[in-house]
Amino acid sequence: MKRFAWAIALPILTGLAVMPFYVSNYIITFTIQTFMWIALAESWNIISGLTGYVSFGHVAFFGTGAYTAAILISKAGWYWFPAALAGSVTAASLALIIGYPCLRLKGPYFAISMLGLNEVVRALVSYFESLTGGGSGITLSTMSSISPLYYSMGGVALAGCFITYWILTSRFGLRLLAIREDELAAEAMGIHTAALKLYAFLISAALPGIAGGFYARYVSHIEPLGTFPLLTTITMIVMCLFGGRGTIFGPVLGATLLSILQELVWTRFLFLHEAIFGAIIIFVILLMPRGILGVLQQRYRLPRTI
Amino acid sequence: MTIQITGTMILQGIVSGLLAGGVYAMVALGMALIFGVMRVINIAHGTLLMLGGYTTYWLFALYGMNPFISLLVSFPLLFLVGVFLQRFFVSRVVGAPELSSLILTFGISIFLSNMAMIAWTGDYRSVEFLTGSFLLGPIAVSKPRLVTFCFALGVTFLAFFFLNKTKTGKAIRATSQHRELAQVCGINVRRIDIITFGLASGLAGVGGGLVSIMFSIFPEMGRNYVFKSFLVIVLGGAGNYLGAFLGGLILGVVEGLASLLLTAQLSEVIAYVLLVILLLVRPTGLLGGRR
Amino acid sequence: MAENLILEVRGVSKHFGGVTALHGCSLALEPGRIFSLIGPNGSGKTTLFNLITGVERCDKGKIYFKGERIDQLPPHKITWKGIGRTFQVIRVFPELTTLENLLVVSRQDWEPSCRRARELLSFVKLDQLQGEFAGNLSYGQQRLLEFARVLMIDPDLILLDEPAAGVNRTLLNDLLSAIRDLRTQGKTVLIVEHDMKVVMDLSEKIFVLDHGEMLAEGAPSIIRSDQRVVEAYFGR
Repeated sequence: MKRFAWAIALPILTGLAVMPFYVSNYIITFTIQTFMWIALAESWNIISGLTGYVSFGHVAFFGTGAYTAAILISKAGWYWFPAALAGSVTAASLALIIGYPCLRLKGPYFAISMLGLNEVVRALVSYFESLTGGGSGITLSTMSSISPLYYSMGGVALAGCFITYWILTSRFGLRLLAIREDELAAEAMGIHTAALKLYAFLISAALPGIAGGFYARYVSHIEPLGTFPLLTTITMIVMCLFGGRGTIFGPVLGATLLSILQELVWTRFLFLHEAIFGAIIIFVILLMPRGILGVLQQRYRLPRTI
Repeated sequence: MTIQITGTMILQGIVSGLLAGGVYAMVALGMALIFGVMRVINIAHGTLLMLGGYTTYWLFALYGMNPFISLLVSFPLLFLVGVFLQRFFVSRVVGAPELSSLILTFGISIFLSNMAMIAWTGDYRSVEFLTGSFLLGPIAVSKPRLVTFCFALGVTFLAFFFLNKTKTGKAIRATSQHRELAQVCGINVRRIDIITFGLASGLAGVGGGLVSIMFSIFPEMGRNYVFKSFLVIVLGGAGNYLGAFLGGLILGVVEGLASLLLTAQLSEVIAYVLLVILLLVRPTGLLGGRR
Repeated sequence: MAENLILEVRGVSKHFGGVTALHGCSLALEPGRIFSLIGPNGSGKTTLFNLITGVERCDKGKIYFKGERIDQLPPHKITWKGIGRTFQVIRVFPELTTLENLLVVSRQDWEPSCRRARELLSFVKLDQLQGEFAGNLSYGQQRLLEFARVLMIDPDLILLDEPAAGVNRTLLNDLLSAIRDLRTQGKTVLIVEHDMKVVMDLSEKIFVLDHGEMLAEGAPSIIRSDQRVVEAYFGR
């Protein structure tokens, strides 16, 4: 099985690695965005797909990473790569502050508390104007070539997959699944659910943190409205659900498919964007709750690590 | 420029906030009912409120209907919408893991709010029916707030009367306390689910109409109210309907004071921090309820 | 406080809203014996289990395990101290395999865990199904899996909540001999059960709970003929 997986993966990875030399800027840009969505969907998968705690405010970590990087680059003269990595630190810190209290809540209470998180972070960003540029945001100098960003964002996406693989093949991952299945029973069997949920949450926040950091460098200008939109959270949720939550490549599949669909079809119908996503969410939850890969997993008794 | 915070201002903040809190209480009651009966957290609740608001608005703008009279239209209209949503969508996830109902109602809410955005644009609208205020001693009492508060109170009492004195209402309470036992006693819980969702949607719709008179409405407003309703339920204790009512009033007061002393942005942060602290310290709510 | 008690529950009370689930309830268990807790429906048996295992907090009273106070501890810490339980409604992890259900609760390293898990699965005769998702097992098989799972954490005190419910005769006999086996290993067992035959057969001492209060306690023969117990079950 593993050999089969590598036989498929290697050519794809090689192809992606050399692609920037052969294709147009448009395709490179599009692929960078898809990498970003993959990273985001994978990160949401870790806390919501594996652990079963629905995070509705996940874009807050993305935005935090973006702002961290932008501030470090523009105000402290950092180079963009380490600045983005620093984004993961602030994002994880935010997750620690929020997660420590909120994860004690049972599932639905946690989800609602996350709904508010996004708005709060955005409000805070607007408030601390001197640091964050307030409503007008931060602008960075333009980059000469976007290839480095292509590989960086690709790296984050890849990291997302590897981290998920590592979790799913470890006892830590098994315990997260147990928490998802029946938290009360897990707790009664001696699993320290509070600590494990927190670790999962931190990991799931660090990834968007880095992705946000690279995103800031990529778009060169960020401001609160565009960096913390609910649509980003919605998109990463739909992508993860559609492709298959709780699997490794489900988010990859969902992100790739929906990213392509988004680019081809919906940018023409921008105003229907959310409605279509809403409809997909409804469809998936009612008819295909495990997503595409989940359905295949059940049908063909595929292993958990797909 | 520093502003002196006087006792009068504080009292003003409390009064204004209290009046707004009545609407929060009524809306939260609906959400609490849905959660109590079906264990579903209805994220679309705010969106239903938004639809109710637009109903009142359009009846006023197009036909000049007294917005308070239009509540007689928005309640049954939203009741039917709620019945539809429950019958064809939400019923399929009752009993499923809570994750499913959360995401489903989330999907419904973004679909509906986007549709509203397309239909009515994102402009802020309000119903300019009652304006101005009158003086009660040193306090300025806003007329729209006072009247909407009275209506909210009235509707909430009607709801409580329904829940406590009618057969269906008692069946709803029985189901929310112990679903299996209610079934065993011959209560058709599926029918109760539908009625409850419809009732809650109707309450949300009326709330939306009242909000359109007090503040303004826009398609995305739902999210805010869901969060507030949830905060109210937590304040009052899940399953404790009277608690939800009091929680709504408390939230109103806290918000009123916060917007007085801080900027509007920070008052949202206050609500959030309040929620988190509350959930940590007393997860069963201020008045205690079920876990 | 007697030194030789593994579990001591002292005067615990628990209210839910207006309902009193337990009131001034006390219970003491000597190590290495099998006890039963019986009582009509709603008498508070599962609540008592929940209090002992830390799932709920006592409103009043104290609980001691091996002389140490445990009623303030979180559930997972209580489990680590050596108390394991099963549930009235089966709570296996449906999307984990049978083997994984056992592995996930173990705190040992991977290798020894796998070995022990396989041993326990053979013990409850589920080893053929080790790769099957727990959600696909039959009701009786899931009951056995839950039982094996609680043994996996190697507790000194095992609380079984209606282990015989819905289990067919053959499986039941296996279960009963497994429980007797535990006693030989020096473990203490407290069973909540409605099946009187099982209760009378297995237990060395029975506790009777009624309306949240401890009604009677004693050897099976005494309980069987206690008028108050009969009245509690069948009314006056």
